[in-house]
Amino acid sequence: MPFHEYVLRNAHRIMFLAAQHVQLVLLSVAVATAIGVGLALATERAPRLRSWLLSTTGVLLTMPSFALFGLLVPVLGLGLGPAVVALTVYAIFPILRNTVTGLETVTPAVVDAAKGMGMRSGQRLRMVRLPLAWPVILNGIRVSTIMLVAIAAIGAAVRGPGLGELIFRGLARIGGANALNEALSGVLGIVVVALLLDLSFVLIGRLTTPRGLHV
Amino acid sequence: MSDVMIRLDEVHKRYDGQAGDAVAPLSMEIREGEFVVFVGPSGCGKTTTLRMINRMVEPSGGRIWIDGRDVTDVDPDELRKHIGYVIQQVGLIPHLTVAANVGLVPKLLGWQRDRIEARTAELLDLVGLDPAAFGGRYPKQLSGGQQQRVGVARALAADPPVMLMDEPFGAIDPITRARLQEEFLALQRRIRKTIVFVTHDVDEALRLGDRVAVFGEGSRLVQFDTPLGILTNPADDYVRDFLGSGAAVRRLGLLNVGDLRKPEPADRLPLRVSSGDSVHSVLERMLRDGADRVIIEGESTEDDRELTLRELLMAGSAR
Ligand SMILES: Nc1ncnc2c1ncn2[C@@H]1O[C@H](COP(=O)(O)OP(=O)(O)O)[C@@H](O)[C@H]1O
Ligand SMILES: [Mg+2]
Repeated sequence: MPFHEYVLRNAHRIMFLAAQHVQLVLLSVAVATAIGVGLALATERAPRLRSWLLSTTGVLLTMPSFALFGLLVPVLGLGLGPAVVALTVYAIFPILRNTVTGLETVTPAVVDAAKGMGMRSGQRLRMVRLPLAWPVILNGIRVSTIMLVAIAAIGAAVRGPGLGELIFRGLARIGGANALNEALSGVLGIVVVALLLDLSFVLIGRLTTPRGLHV
Repeated sequence: MSDVMIRLDEVHKRYDGQAGDAVAPLSMEIREGEFVVFVGPSGCGKTTTLRMINRMVEPSGGRIWIDGRDVTDVDPDELRKHIGYVIQQVGLIPHLTVAANVGLVPKLLGWQRDRIEARTAELLDLVGLDPAAFGGRYPKQLSGGQQQRVGVARALAADPPVMLMDEPFGAIDPITRARLQEEFLALQRRIRKTIVFVTHDVDEALRLGDRVAVFGEGSRLVQFDTPLGILTNPADDYVRDFLGSGAAVRRLGLLNVGDLRKPEPADRLPLRVSSGDSVHSVLERMLRDGADRVIIEGESTEDDRELTLRELLMAGSAR
């Protein structure tokens, strides 16, 4: 069966898995954003702890994802749980790093003047520092998201949801009927999902970057 | 005699891990409505002193009163809402419009929206910016001079009795700076704030201040007097050096001819100058010493020439 015919016949399943894939990625990124931004803010007065966190989460990123998923199975079992945990672990570093960088690149004189006007530390964070750091933070979230789209495919090895299932199943029975088509549809699906998510980040960036920053 | 608005009593500051005092114990009184300028070389502690007044820097010791209240009795954020603060880098918040920047402190104080809008427009007007044209712009869309005007408007927003200004015109080109200085003086004549203004530029200090505090190394307060007092009677060689050449001519800028009294006639010694001195520097020295003749030294005593002040003026005139 030619590839396009395979895709048309299995459109329903492919779309379902793609939607699962997107959900898995967005859920993990949301958790990682809360953790990454939270850690960056919590360690503002603790530079040593902060750099330790940065290097640790950075090292976690170099761990082969297959190994991490495998390690989590005995603890969390199969399915959604280990997939979300593993993806979150990967996604923390870019978000944490970009939040730190974003806050650092806010012009000190702006924060100083805000303090000099009587803004409390929470007000300075909410009304000045976070809005100014936002484009950089958002970029960290974007990098994490795109990265997770690829890594999430590996999650199928632990029965995680998503397009990985097509690849693994296809490869497992390679030589069989439509095995290559199945694997290929998974790969292509991942590329399309990544592109669409990336595009939405461009849009979100446009909509949420304060106007005064790009006039 | 007006009331004291700001009083420093043995205020000093030593930053953590530093050997010496950034500000040595300092006492001074600043009266209500007075425009006081701190001037001194870079690193002598002007900024630190200024920032201790609004508690951006906590003093290591000593006490500061504003309008009779010890500043350490007030919550620092509350204190700062009622003290205008302008810095050289301006520090406008880039993602807020000009109007929102100016209206920020009133917003923090919980004013109604209408009142904030009216106040913002009034202030932009006051600093020479058309509210309709500039209110909706972002800081990046303004020139340096315009940003600095917004900085001043923002500091005035809640009508604070005290303004602290740290080299506000320092980063601006000389022509715009001179205009801002003029305008600010005119503004101050209307609003009569108590102002502490920091600069390292003697000319600016003498032009703006009702009184000028000259600081030396290690934040030693060397002289605290009116510009005329400082130019007429520099406290010591340090101040004389700091004023540099031209003090005598600058002093003339602060005197009106109507202020002058006819001097007693006196024998004055001629000033000895060499032929390479500029006419300007010779006139400056004659003015300083009250000389009415100069002897221009030649190769030998026979070659000396004498010129009177009148001849010097005639020879030097452009016509
Ligand atoms: N935050 C700081 N930490 C440590 N030292 C400082 C700090 N701010 C200023 N200093 C030091 O204190 C001295 C006075 O500085 P400053 O008040 O900025 O002087 P000025 O404004 O007259 O140039 C300088 O020696 C400077 O290096
Ligand atoms: Mg300074």
